[in-house]
Amino acid sequence: MAKVEEYKLFPGCTIGNRIPFIEASARKVFDKLGIKTSDAAFACCPDPVGFNSVDHTSWLAMGARNLTLAEAEGKDILSLCNGCFQTLKLVNVELNNNEHEKEKINKILKVVGKEFQGSINVKHFVEVLHDYGPDKIKEFVTHDFSGLKVACHTGCHYNRPSEIVQTDDPMEPVKLRELVAATGATPIDYSEEMLCCGSGVGNTEEAPSMQLLANKFSSAVKAGADVFVVICPACFQQMDTNQKKAGTQSNNEFKIPILYLTELIALSFGMNPDELGLKFHRARLTEFLTKNGFK
Amino acid sequence: MVMVDYELKKKVMDANIHDALKYCYQCNRCTDVCPVADLAPNRYNPRNLILNSFLGLKENIFGGDDSFNIWGCTMCDTCDEICPQKIELTGVFTVLKNMSIAMGEAPEYYTIQASAIYDSGKAIPPQPAIERRREQL
Repeated sequence: MAKVEEYKLFPGCTIGNRIPFIEASARKVFDKLGIKTSDAAFACCPDPVGFNSVDHTSWLAMGARNLTLAEAEGKDILSLCNGCFQTLKLVNVELNNNEHEKEKINKILKVVGKEFQGSINVKHFVEVLHDYGPDKIKEFVTHDFSGLKVACHTGCHYNRPSEIVQTDDPMEPVKLRELVAATGATPIDYSEEMLCCGSGVGNTEEAPSMQLLANKFSSAVKAGADVFVVICPACFQQMDTNQKKAGTQSNNEFKIPILYLTELIALSFGMNPDELGLKFHRARLTEFLTKNGFK
Repeated sequence: MVMVDYELKKKVMDANIHDALKYCYQCNRCTDVCPVADLAPNRYNPRNLILNSFLGLKENIFGGDDSFNIWGCTMCDTCDEICPQKIELTGVFTVLKNMSIAMGEAPEYYTIQASAIYDSGKAIPPQPAIERRREQL
């Protein structure tokens, strides 16, 4: 596997083209920690929920093309998104373990002058931060988040299917919790921690999607959560933009801030909410920021 | 009379690279843990879907009133994780979804997204306003 002195950063379509403030927070955190990244001409990963359902072979071919760009530089990929991470990891593993598929995909890639080798690894940013070390991250923390109760939500594609992605425990993941704890905040237990945010089924039908989201929110609110911390842009969008709909669906009213892990870490490093673009969140953060001593 | 479709059977069996599918003993753990089956038990049932798939009972899967029996899957991969026989159910469901797309029975979201990727290489194409915001940050 490739050396990890520098990663090829894979922001993905959702973060890059819809919620760029998340990319900004990630880049600022990596800079501060000295984690080096560089860009490449990546296309869509493509989406493991959407595009893989449309045509598995095209999904493999597009994913493999992205991998070849990082292979050309001998660098591992660092993904900011659960979906991109799962796609690239699954494609990498499937082609590395299935000669027949690899041959088929390489025939397709030949048209664009590429060949999949299987020489690099794909990492989720939570893995990279956790490898860096929660204790080492703690050394950069200047803001006091003690007393902040956090509902951690890893989302589904970070740690499943575990046999392939091998990031964390599939049903009781710990790395996100440990990184949240490094900021001084307290990760809480809530009954629906492993429940899907409902984004996937939402592509098909709204009602079950909003019901899943409402069940998730209710469980965290009941457990006393002040804020959710997430690590996937699809979960982020589902949870940040649909609080009103989930409330209507379940006769509830939800007003709970949704933070990306890199935003919480950036704030704990004393970075300014304005430079992080936190005003672009749909679920307003004003109250959360005032309460936690930010202007 | 329900007909067995051998083409479907072959596609489903070929999809499962670990050959695990033949060891499914219908224990129902997949349906037990499925969050969508929990909300809509009469409309989405992964155990049933797997049974009909490996038996090749095409008419029980496709051509129904709505395609929620296939597309209700929220892709959380919980069933993959819980299956005592280590069957990667979502790998089979991907085969069914690819077939459903080819038959024109899929929800429109999927074809719209695929067209965007085909046209621009991105599921969510860049927009000028977001580009400006990205530059500022």
